[in-house]
Amino acid sequence: MVFNSLTFVVFFCCVLLLHSLPFSWNVKKVNLLVASYIFYSAWNPPFVLLLWLSTVVDWWAAQSIVRSTNPLRRRAWMLVSVIANLGVLAYFKYGKFLLANFTALLSTAGVHYVPPDFDIVLPVGISFYTFATMSYTLDVYLRRALPSRNFLDFALFVTFFPHLVAGPIMRPTELVPQFEEPRRADRQRLCFGLALVTLGLFMKVVLADGFLAQPTEIVYDSDKAPGMLDAWTATLAFSGQIFCDFAGYSTTAIGVAMCLGFALSDNFRFPYAAVGFSDFWRRWHITLSSYLRDYLYIPLGGNRHGEVRTYVSLMATMLIGGLWHGASWAFVVWGGLHGLYLSAERVLRKLFSGYRPGPAVFFGLGLLTYALVNVTWVFFRAKTFAKAWLVLNGMFGLNAAPVPQLAVVHLLSVAVIVGGIVAVHWRMRDTTVEAVLARVPTSILTISWAFMAFAIIIEQGAGSAFIYFQF
Amino acid sequence: MFLLALAMVVTLTSLWEWRMRSLALLPGDLSPSAAAWVVQRRRVDAEDAKVVIIGDSRILYDTDLGRFQALTGLRPIQLALQGTNCLPFLENLAADDHFKGLVIVGITDTSYFRERIGLFEAALKFARFESPSDRIGYWLDYGLSQYLGFLEPEYRLSVLVKRLDPDLRPGVKGPYDDVWKISTMGEDRQTAIWSRIETDPRLRDHARAVWNGFKGDKVSDAVIASTLGRTRTAVLAIRAHGGDVIFVRPPSAPELRVNEDQRLSRARGWDALLAAAQVRGVHADDVPETRGLIFPEFSHLSRACAPVFTDAYVRRLTGLTPRLQLRKDAPPPLGPRDCVPAGAASAEVTTQR
Repeated sequence: MVFNSLTFVVFFCCVLLLHSLPFSWNVKKVNLLVASYIFYSAWNPPFVLLLWLSTVVDWWAAQSIVRSTNPLRRRAWMLVSVIANLGVLAYFKYGKFLLANFTALLSTAGVHYVPPDFDIVLPVGISFYTFATMSYTLDVYLRRALPSRNFLDFALFVTFFPHLVAGPIMRPTELVPQFEEPRRADRQRLCFGLALVTLGLFMKVVLADGFLAQPTEIVYDSDKAPGMLDAWTATLAFSGQIFCDFAGYSTTAIGVAMCLGFALSDNFRFPYAAVGFSDFWRRWHITLSSYLRDYLYIPLGGNRHGEVRTYVSLMATMLIGGLWHGASWAFVVWGGLHGLYLSAERVLRKLFSGYRPGPAVFFGLGLLTYALVNVTWVFFRAKTFAKAWLVLNGMFGLNAAPVPQLAVVHLLSVAVIVGGIVAVHWRMRDTTVEAVLARVPTSILTISWAFMAFAIIIEQGAGSAFIYFQF
Repeated sequence: MFLLALAMVVTLTSLWEWRMRSLALLPGDLSPSAAAWVVQRRRVDAEDAKVVIIGDSRILYDTDLGRFQALTGLRPIQLALQGTNCLPFLENLAADDHFKGLVIVGITDTSYFRERIGLFEAALKFARFESPSDRIGYWLDYGLSQYLGFLEPEYRLSVLVKRLDPDLRPGVKGPYDDVWKISTMGEDRQTAIWSRIETDPRLRDHARAVWNGFKGDKVSDAVIASTLGRTRTAVLAIRAHGGDVIFVRPPSAPELRVNEDQRLSRARGWDALLAAAQVRGVHADDVPETRGLIFPEFSHLSRACAPVFTDAYVRRLTGLTPRLQLRKDAPPPLGPRDCVPAGAASAEVTTQR
């Protein structure tokens, strides 16, 4: 079920009630585990089997790694876990993509091959929980972490519903210890958690779905050539939409977990105020970028084996990171562009190592970063390369006969909302939500909270899925 | 802080509900949705349905299920969907071996003879698989809709804001030109035109303007041939598992009809369809009782006239298929005089000649 649905509201009230009853801690954990399975099976009950598979394989593999003294045997168990997780991911997420490319490859070689139908449903959030569970066996194998002592705690780590389908991608070392001792939110944390849930749903239901999705769809889902104004407005709208959608999900997830007494990692830190791309990736989808850094970039060599190897590692990490988002070459291009940006930034930082920009230049570099990030969003959002080029041509004023597509109300709402998002990010780039909230008078917080909740209610929402669920 | 915020939310929501009810958004009016459709689609198999109606908004709004039941003793399952080509839905029933009932296909020629499905394409996907979450969500929404009037998608915050722009940018047709709320839907998808379309000139004029006279390109021979072929195949399949199919063409106002005929004449569309699929049907032109009925926004009948048209076409159908029998205690026939107030035709409403 999605957070922005009546079903979830009822579900969450039941879970919160159960969690506040005077049961033993073990019973409460079992309640949370069962609730998490119900949460996941509300999409498609048979896919719970995949969760069980992932849980059992990784638990067993980690235990075997710890028991083994033979390095080869340890490595074999680690590979069992990696192959099982990536195998499931490859089959469900990349099977169709691989088959299509294989067919295309044969076709270019003159071989006519008609593959069998490969019409399978992608289990929601599969990329998130396979990465989370795989990190467990990898950490145990690399001796970065001890295995969990309790199967229930581990199963709950894999399945815990707030982070299950779209992150934040939690590490076992962050979450499993939280399950070891009784936890319950006090009144203040419950209040803060509910406020975060409201903020997250406001971002998703009102801003992303209510105001930003439509201008994006009008331009990106049409065959007409956009002019500069429409192309930029639609792309800026998408930059706002995907931020409000994904950060809205993460904020809600963090709020939900907080209401139950648990802490999840921050996933966004005002990314549209980033100056440079390494800064952007420290602020955007933080748990994925740190995962890719720890489990891909560093094992590939990182920056420890010379310049060439560093750039190769960087590009490989970003290309794979792109492919993680979806089985499409457009996502690979998106990742590749970010890899190129990061590489270019690295070169420039070396060339201008002593340079310290003044405030105006610093702000200008931030806007340039945001503009270049928007260029990458074109490939992320466009359904085909042809459409991506059409929009990019529009953004650079190269479409010969552009057709106006967006109404004034769309232009204005994108300007106000996305302008507001960027302004807030710059205002808060060096602080935290908690620090700001501590300074704001209670009366203003109360009124803001009430208006956000009221806006969610009268916007209603269509219970549309979060964009990142498809990944 | 929490309690104060909660009190503010409750107060603001109550005021909003009061305002929405003053705009004739009333509890019990369900939103048209694929989820609501699937509930009825499941009944087709679960209840061994005798009569099913598919089609677009015309047969949906213009059929009074209560009148149908009073005449025949059977209450049809209403599966018509606004803005949607019903041919794929006919094919869906054709693929359902369990179905042995009568399908009444209500068509608007320009909607039926086209390639794309239209607004409710998702309904078929839902029919194949509906998640437990979607199913529970529908029933929760249904429960709340019985008490709250503001749960109307066409009166959501963002929709209302977007309609403030009366197409200020030259050359762009914006959200102002979308179809606004024009219908209400109750239990078992009994649908009728929204009362304010009949009483509020601004809403009625907007709806008329959005239809733009149903102007459009002429339907191509290829689309006609494909539609006829698919219909014939579907009808044969339904008959093969014990069902039957009959067609109905509801009326529309002359302001639309002239353009509909230009795009697809009766000879190229309706007549060819009945001949190719070997089916029988009732065309509004052949039903004298439909003359003089009221079409507030040109395309659909008024709430009062829908039972009149239903009465007329159901009586005709009883003569075309043995699957529908007129009850011995059926109410007396209705006519335009039962729904057209004296002098209304010359005032603010449009009638069919």
